[in-house]
Amino acid sequence: MKRNSLVSIAVLFILAVFAWAGWANFEYRKQAAERLLANLAQGELVVSADDGAAHFLSPLQGKPAPAFTLEDLSGKKVSLASYKGKAVLINFWATWCGPCKLETPWLVDLRNHYAAQGFEVLGISADDLDRDDPAKLGMEKKEISRFVQQMKMPYPVLIDGGSLSKLYGGLDSLPASFFVDRNGNVVAAQLGLTSKDEIEGNIRKALGAGK
Amino acid sequence: MLDRKAGICAAAALLFGIVTLLARGQDYGRSVARPSAVEYLFPEQVTVPAGKASPVALHFRIAPGLHINSHTPREDFLIPTVLSIPEGGGVRLEQASYPAGTDFVLPVDPKTRLSVYTGEFVIQARIVAAAGDHMVEAKLRFQACDQNACMPPKTITVPIDVIGK
Repeated sequence: MKRNSLVSIAVLFILAVFAWAGWANFEYRKQAAERLLANLAQGELVVSADDGAAHFLSPLQGKPAPAFTLEDLSGKKVSLASYKGKAVLINFWATWCGPCKLETPWLVDLRNHYAAQGFEVLGISADDLDRDDPAKLGMEKKEISRFVQQMKMPYPVLIDGGSLSKLYGGLDSLPASFFVDRNGNVVAAQLGLTSKDEIEGNIRKALGAGK
Repeated sequence: MLDRKAGICAAAALLFGIVTLLARGQDYGRSVARPSAVEYLFPEQVTVPAGKASPVALHFRIAPGLHINSHTPREDFLIPTVLSIPEGGGVRLEQASYPAGTDFVLPVDPKTRLSVYTGEFVIQARIVAAAGDHMVEAKLRFQACDQNACMPPKTITVPIDVIGK
């Protein structure tokens, strides 16, 4: 009798362990699928048939640019949708990013050159913001503002770019740029510092003016 | 006889279940780990006189192809490398001496010289430990880049077993 009880307890315990193993397995598979999705969204470098150079190919290419609404430095809400009909360069940058600082003067030049043709740059700061600490948040905004003034950025600068990280493929490194045509579709993307010529070529593509 | 067989089957099934779980756990742990731009090398354990400021050399390695800003970057927008020890753990960081950065020039901007660390570097820390064994989780904050792009600032844990005697 005693032995039967022991066996029953052991069987119950085993069933519990299997149930636990099944749950752990389900969680594992779920997380693996999420990781796979995240990797797919991150894009890859491919060699162009045109110039033989390596270019960043984003999975967003050819698809509608993910919609967003962010605040600018004055607290005004700005949405991507309000730029429909214009070609837009969405440029993710940060104050601590040296290569971003190098490319910003190029973006300013190109924005001024192509603005009349219906082109705009949306500079999105990925600097961390301490929303729970108003004093720190004020200082962080001030720092971004100081950078914007120093670089004489004439285009809208939005903050809290980190919140778009998942939508735009992780943003694991900066600068990252997405070129959006007048219909709101991503026609090109660049990761890291490239060249002013490459940026201009992609702006012309977004404007529908060819390369 | 039947009971004995049932017991053996139960034990085998239990063992199988545990092994499966352990294997899953290890596999999952391995797949989520992402290499950090900076890795803490050593020491894992130090013994210092209790209550007295003592030197400890902390060794780090930066992943190939990357650099991090030195403790004194030339531009104030750039994030310096900083070591800290959280308060209340029985060990205090009295002072940290950082190596001088080496010059680094981006190919597209030869005029600008950055002050960075690459490869391995050592921070000379002076710590004061209370008597006893303290598992210290020091922090190293840094910001890494390669030649074309930068990664967000990061803080890694620097685990050191400090014995104050």
